[in-house]
Amino acid sequence: MSRSLLRVALLLLSFIGLTFVTALDQTIAAEQATEAEQLFVRRILPILNDKCFACHGNDVQDIQGGLNLRAQDALTIGGDTGEPLIKREDLLNSPLLSAVKREDANWSPMPPKDADRLTSEQLKHFSQWIEAGAVWPNASRIAEIQKSFADKWSIEDGWLLTTSGGLSAEWNDRRYKPEALWAYQPVRKPVTKAEGSGAIDELIALHVPDGMSVAGESEPATWLRRATYDLTGLPATNDEIRSFETAFHSNKDIAVREAIDRLLSSPHYGEQMAQHWLDVVRYADSSGFANDFERGNAWRYRDYVVRSFNNDKAYDRFIREQIAGDEIDPSDSENIIATGFLRMGPWELTGMEVAKIARQRFLDDVTNSVGEVFLAHSLQCARCHDHKFDPIPTRDYYSIQAVFSTTQLADRPAPFLPQENIDGFDEVKYLKRVQASHQETLQRLDDKSLAAAEKWHEENNIDPTKWKAALEQARENGIPKRRGLYGAARAIMLKDGVPEDQYPPRMLAWTPQEIGLERIAAKGLERLTWQLERYEPTALAVYNGPPLQLTAVTSPLRMRQEKTNAKSAPAEKTCILVGGDPFSEGDAVKPGVLSVLTSFPALAKSSTPQESNGQSNIKSNGEESSFTQLASRFPEPPTKNRLALANWIAHKDNPLTARVIANRIWMWHFDQPLAGNPNNFGSTGKRPTHPELLDWLAATLIENDWSFKALHRIIMNSQAYRRSSRAAAQSQEFSQELLESHYAVFKPRRLTGEEIRDSMLVFTGELNRRIGGIPNRPEINAEAAMQPRQVMGTFAEVWVPNPLPSQRHRRSLYALKLRGLADPALEVFNAPTPDFSCERREVSTVTPQVFALFNSEYSHLRALALASKVLKSSGTNDRDAVIACFQTVLGREPSEQEVASCLHHLEKLSAIESHKEYAPVKPPLEIVRDAVEENTGERFSFLEKLYSNADFVPDLQPSDCDARTRALANMCLVLLNSNEFIYVY
Amino acid sequence: MSTNPDANSQSALNDSAPLSRRRWLYDSGSSLCGIMASMAASALMADERKAATEPELPKPHFNVRAKSVIFLMMEGGPSHIDTFDPKPALSRWHLKEFVREGQQKSAMESGKRYYVQSPFKFIKAGQSGADMAENWSHLAKVADHLCFFRGCRVDSVNHPTAMYQMNCGNRFGGDPAIGAWMNYGLGSINQNLPGFIVFPEVSFPQGGSANWSNGYLPAHHQGTALRPHGSPILDLVPPAHVTTEQQRLNLDLLSSLNQQHAQEHPAHAELATRMANYELAFRMQSQVPELLDLSREDARTKAMYGIDQPATNSFGRKCLLARRLVEQGVRFVQLYNGTWDSHDFIERAHGNLVRGVDQPIAALIQDLKQRGLLESTLVVWCGEFGRTPDNGVRQGTAYGRDHNPNAMTIWLAGGGCNAGHTIGATDELGMEAVEGKAHVRDFHVTLLRLLGLDDNKLTYYHGGRFKQLSQFGGKVIDDLIA
Repeated sequence: MSRSLLRVALLLLSFIGLTFVTALDQTIAAEQATEAEQLFVRRILPILNDKCFACHGNDVQDIQGGLNLRAQDALTIGGDTGEPLIKREDLLNSPLLSAVKREDANWSPMPPKDADRLTSEQLKHFSQWIEAGAVWPNASRIAEIQKSFADKWSIEDGWLLTTSGGLSAEWNDRRYKPEALWAYQPVRKPVTKAEGSGAIDELIALHVPDGMSVAGESEPATWLRRATYDLTGLPATNDEIRSFETAFHSNKDIAVREAIDRLLSSPHYGEQMAQHWLDVVRYADSSGFANDFERGNAWRYRDYVVRSFNNDKAYDRFIREQIAGDEIDPSDSENIIATGFLRMGPWELTGMEVAKIARQRFLDDVTNSVGEVFLAHSLQCARCHDHKFDPIPTRDYYSIQAVFSTTQLADRPAPFLPQENIDGFDEVKYLKRVQASHQETLQRLDDKSLAAAEKWHEENNIDPTKWKAALEQARENGIPKRRGLYGAARAIMLKDGVPEDQYPPRMLAWTPQEIGLERIAAKGLERLTWQLERYEPTALAVYNGPPLQLTAVTSPLRMRQEKTNAKSAPAEKTCILVGGDPFSEGDAVKPGVLSVLTSFPALAKSSTPQESNGQSNIKSNGEESSFTQLASRFPEPPTKNRLALANWIAHKDNPLTARVIANRIWMWHFDQPLAGNPNNFGSTGKRPTHPELLDWLAATLIENDWSFKALHRIIMNSQAYRRSSRAAAQSQEFSQELLESHYAVFKPRRLTGEEIRDSMLVFTGELNRRIGGIPNRPEINAEAAMQPRQVMGTFAEVWVPNPLPSQRHRRSLYALKLRGLADPALEVFNAPTPDFSCERREVSTVTPQVFALFNSEYSHLRALALASKVLKSSGTNDRDAVIACFQTVLGREPSEQEVASCLHHLEKLSAIESHKEYAPVKPPLEIVRDAVEENTGERFSFLEKLYSNADFVPDLQPSDCDARTRALANMCLVLLNSNEFIYVY
Repeated sequence: MSTNPDANSQSALNDSAPLSRRRWLYDSGSSLCGIMASMAASALMADERKAATEPELPKPHFNVRAKSVIFLMMEGGPSHIDTFDPKPALSRWHLKEFVREGQQKSAMESGKRYYVQSPFKFIKAGQSGADMAENWSHLAKVADHLCFFRGCRVDSVNHPTAMYQMNCGNRFGGDPAIGAWMNYGLGSINQNLPGFIVFPEVSFPQGGSANWSNGYLPAHHQGTALRPHGSPILDLVPPAHVTTEQQRLNLDLLSSLNQQHAQEHPAHAELATRMANYELAFRMQSQVPELLDLSREDARTKAMYGIDQPATNSFGRKCLLARRLVEQGVRFVQLYNGTWDSHDFIERAHGNLVRGVDQPIAALIQDLKQRGLLESTLVVWCGEFGRTPDNGVRQGTAYGRDHNPNAMTIWLAGGGCNAGHTIGATDELGMEAVEGKAHVRDFHVTLLRLLGLDDNKLTYYHGGRFKQLSQFGGKVIDDLIA
């Protein structure tokens, strides 16, 4: 048949189809549905559901472009343009096809988002369907066809899943490609020839392309540096490297094993792992947003994490404590502190926000956080609508949220534990002085207005009797802190309905300067209540209780019984919020979990051909069925809902939990995860590159009672981890990326900002290795420290470094982490913002890193300290000094050529330095800060006293050193900037 | 599922992951990365210069005139009612009291309230007859270049969340700012300068530097805050005692050590990137201060911007610098001014604030015009929200206004905007936009469109999802475009 004849034939057929399908759909059995009908139901309708109806039919009030695809005869009526979507005379040039093909300028590309464009396969189906006449059966016919072909299509098109139920029937009918559901499959441990570390190499080898050779073993010095940074975040010292080399050459396997054991037992191990964990949970010492109030006691949660890793706490217990510690045993401070996890998101309630919305923000935050952190599912995608890509209905989202309906925020009493570091609390004296100064300011301004009030009455010829009575009454009532006597008297007059021109006005006799000062003092006192919490035996935590009716939170929240001014409110009921709107309640829901995981195992069993040849399931200890049972085991009354959720998450049969953490642990060693989006195991996340390995690691973790340290040992003893970063000679070309992704070479990584800073302190000997404790304030860039920063109604405090070097030179983990003021030197090296969970740190190479590392005062002072230390210990010989510097920073001896360049450099720098004179530095005791006052729109300045600077002991300064030390410091600065230091191989 | 954007296909990832690690200098030039790794340092320098003059920029999605943006961010929420949206009806309601309550109201909105008429008189400015409070006497002279938009609506009633939404599209912070998106979409014309520069107020706004964040976009798209005092960029120059000669000697030693190291790790491409960065940083040490040095501008220009007057000096300098940076090819310059958060005493506070910015802004527009840059530069003036026609009784009566997410005035100038028109309208009292209503995400989509970018195409794959400035798409407001 010629092409044109075929077209005519098809046209005829399609007309017949169109007419007959509508007329005869009851008479032709569904099994005999035409190809075109089948194509529509099977291929086209799901696309329309996913990509078109949202704007063209679901909401008849809001139809885009006037095109309602759900309307009868939509294809012939079209939209605002008035053109039919299907050109019967020229089917393949139908506007509908042009729009989805996105190649005809006359028709807007559909769907509008580029990322949503139809795949080539979908376009092929569209063309076929249109070419076959664009048959569109009616609803009942669709249902019949779906029913009669369900089984056939299920095998071919993907799986139909059972969940708690979507908001629409169409969502429930979605099909999922089995490979997109990999993370819901029960974890199966592949059977391997080798056990332990050898299994890892075997499973990696499975995927190595033909012709790709793996690199040889890493040099012992390189390996030890790698392992030490991985496990502690600190450099291996020169002595450690030398003795490891000796041990390695006598028996390398034993040497490696012993080194790993030594590092795992270092208390710095917990610090390094805590840094990873805190990235994921978004740790910060402040609340963010308008006030950015400090969370004085958040540090106790940070230390809890460090302790948990150091004690090798089983991961399942770690999960339970963080989600439900208070429900397990509230008498143990450790459990209360652990629930700080639930409070990690930025949150505040100001008088400018609707209280219910703020409460909802907390619930949304905690729901999504639990999903991302433990289950690698961004649950917020299901907040307003059923999840677009994953089998997570909105109902599940609110069911998980219902678990938290009785969860209230509080800074709970929790006595300090013997294992907590409570040193340095005497620094509170500086805050007390700030407090006293603010109180003095308010008193002075109150006095000033009071004095001026007398004159005001005279000048305005107003009888002061009433005013005096009000003052008397205010004195009797007790003077409120902020407004003072003057303000209290005004409040009485206002309340009594005295006309405003009959008593003295606000801010009487204050200069614009003083108007600003009053705000700073009053708000400053409010801010201090949060900072003073740092030294109290309370923990950033939660408790179960009835909802509180709050309008603003301006001081740390206490448990309900202590909160006297909170009115009780009806118990919080959780409903599906239509469109995510807190004021639009849909169906009520009960506490629950991800429902797909309950129905999935049975489905997986029946749908997958027996894969178990060569594979074994995780050993069962007799509680086989309890994972599915746990899904519905939420107690009434809801006293331990969070524990029920935690038990479900931490159950060994939860297919997500072990995989998620195994993937993270792997990434912490290899700088690349197996599944590319550690917070997203859903269908849009990257699939695991080595699925068998991921399952093997997850199963092995559980077999080892969820021990992190056991898994580190197994991973680090593998050949993959011991491999060199230098590629082996290859029989064919492979890109570096490809070699890295197959673990054929070890992927080099850049040190993090924290590791760079901490390493420098190790080199100089300045690092205070004490574990845990209240946050410290190291010196950061002085301009950033002094940069005025607006917070609600005032300006945030200057960043004042701790007075003593030992306080300042702590690990970066302990530096006060304010959401509103990131340390620019860490930020520039990709320290993540605590606003979002960081699944994996970015690594970028940008110019401002040079400013931070090469130009900063901080680097220059570290270089000087290093030079001074080296010269003190290595005697007078320049050559020895150069060698000692290389050993300290790079863990190796310099080459002759390097020695020569360095000596030459030293000579020139000594000449320059010998002509310089340095004055000793003194930190300022007060600074003048400029700002714009909100009430006047005028600039004003104010003085901020930096009390602790009076006790400031500076680090070693150039003025303390001779020209030779200063010259050597230049060379040290160069080493601290070298690529060899910055990268780990 | 068959209809997903397939995150696992290479094509989906090509424009994000590899570049984030491989970019060098401040932006772009990525095509050179591959060859750089195998090049000697001296040859490298030559190519770097080439990159500086002939950047390979990404192609915009549409052909448009605008290339750069100067974004005037009036933080705190300027009152539309007292600036560009007169509400004469308010005088009938002046000081009339009422009570507002309800679960959907914040503490600030609730309780006893009273209406406040504007203390400012209004005029019709220019041939277009644009409404302006008469204290905008300089801006009135360039009124015909402005396109006013009264239909914008935001979701947040508090400063940091509203600022985040206006700057980054998301109320909760952490997402890329508009400037970062534009640099990501269009590249940076000047390879030796950041493509996104911010001049904050003397104090950082609420929400801090997250307002000019690169979010999940590669780090070189982050807004660089230039400081009014001290070093314009943090640690741009070494401590005062370090001489240039010394700095050069240190760099030379570093370079020789790094070269040797690179030979041992030939496959490690980032080593060369890091080395090049040190040389660029060294050049920036002298170039950036020169660029910011206004001493070479003639007295007439400085006077035009009001730099010679105390009231206008601060914002005048910023406006003049913004023009210079745009001339140098900086893609996006954002100037902060405020705080416009006049809860009480609006006559005094807004009066002073307008005095501070009126002349500098008018000068900027005139200057861009006379230099032929207004066509290619889009100027945006807005706050994070508008203000209410009423005020709460707090400590007695004070003629001010609270926050209002439902009505505000934004204006545009240059860059292909619909100059000489006022789009949209608010109700009789200025409480809510009623005509030409559009969500801020539509406004964002429109800004991108004016720069030749399609919000639906300008996406970035992050955390398993394609993300975009408007969060989930929006509509171009056609009336804002000429």
